[in-house]
Amino acid sequence: MNPQSVLPRELQLTAVMILVGFLGWVVHLIRSARLSLRDSLLWVLSTFAALLMTVFPQTLKWVAIHLSIEVPSNALFAAAIVYLAINLLSTTIAVSGAHTRVRRLTQECTLLRAELNELRAQVGNSERKPAP
Amino acid sequence: MRGLIIVPALNEAGNLPRVLSAIAALAPTWDVVVVDDGSTDATETVASQRGARVLRSVINLGIGAAVQTGYLWARDRKYDLAVQLDGDGQHDPAFIQALVEPIKRGQLDVVIGSRFLSEGGFRSTSVRRVGIRYLSWFLRFRCGAKVTDPTSGFRAVGRRALEFFADYYPTDYPEPEAIALAVRHGLRVGEVPVRMEERFSGKSSINVWRTVYYFLKVSLALLLLPTSSTGGLLQR
Repeated sequence: MNPQSVLPRELQLTAVMILVGFLGWVVHLIRSARLSLRDSLLWVLSTFAALLMTVFPQTLKWVAIHLSIEVPSNALFAAAIVYLAINLLSTTIAVSGAHTRVRRLTQECTLLRAELNELRAQVGNSERKPAP
Repeated sequence: MRGLIIVPALNEAGNLPRVLSAIAALAPTWDVVVVDDGSTDATETVASQRGARVLRSVINLGIGAAVQTGYLWARDRKYDLAVQLDGDGQHDPAFIQALVEPIKRGQLDVVIGSRFLSEGGFRSTSVRRVGIRYLSWFLRFRCGAKVTDPTSGFRAVGRRALEFFADYYPTDYPEPEAIALAVRHGLRVGEVPVRMEERFSGKSSINVWRTVYYFLKVSLALLLLPTSSTGGLLQR
C-alpha cells in the first residue's frame, strides 16, 4: 500500500516537522530546567506517539477505516484533538493537585503564625504587638 | 567534623524506634534529623520521643524533596558531613564509619554504600538487580560514574556535595540522577561495600509495574540531563 495514498506528502512532512520541532523544544525546556520531566512526561510520550502515527500513516488509515472516517487525513486531525484533550486534562489535574497543596500550606502558615504569637507572648514580649 | 544523619520517613512509626536505637548505639556522636514527609501515623511523635529532631512536612513531597530538606537543614547548620539512612530499617548504622572514611581523608565528596561489592545481606529481587545493572551501565555511559549500586539510598556526603544537593536535587527516583548531577558538577563519587537488611515491618511501596515505570523514568531523566553543570531547576 502506498503511504502517499493515505496522507498527502506535504501534510505528512509538515506534521513531522512540527512534531519534531515541538518535541525538540520540550526536550530543551526540560534540559534547561524550565520544565520538569515529571510534569511534561505525558507531553513527551503523546508527542512521540503522534510522531510515530505520522511517520507510519498506515496507523491513521487503520483508525480511519474503523471509525468510518472518509478521508484518512481527517484521522490525523481527529488524533490531534484527542492529543490536546488528553494533555489539557492532565494539566488541569496537576493544577488541582497544586491548589490542594497550596491550600494546605496556607493553613500550615496560619497555624505556625498563631503558635509563634503564642510563644512570643509567653517569652514576655507583651509590650510588642503580634506580627501583622 | 560535625556530622548529621538524615532519616527520611513516611509512616515508619513501627520501624523508627529500632532504627533510632541502632543509631544511638552505633553512631552516638552524630546528630540525627528525621524528615517526616507527611506521615499519617505517629512517626513524628515516635521520633521526637526518642530525642531526634523532626522536620515535619504536612504534605508528602516524595523522597527526593524530603532528603533535600535534610540537606537544607545540614547546610544551614554548617555540618561537614551528612549521611542518608532510610527509616525502614534496611540500612545498618554500623557502616556509617566506613562510608565517611573516604570523605574525611579528602578523597571523595559522595560515598555510596553498595550492596554488590561484597557478599551477604539483602540484595533486592532478581528483577531489580537486572535493572540496577542496566542503570549502572547507563550511568557510566552518560556521565562516566562507576557505580555498582546507583539506587542505594545509603550514602554519605561531604560539605561541598551537601551544599550542592541543598540547591539541586532530583524529585522523582532521585538516587541515580543525583549521582549524575554530582559528577557533572565536578564532585568525586565512589562506593564502599555495605550490607542491607529487608525492612523490619510495614509495606514497601514497590511492585512490578512500579519497578518498570521506575527504570523507564530514570532512563529518560538520565537521557535528558541538564545542559549546564549546575543542574538547573531541579527543586531549589
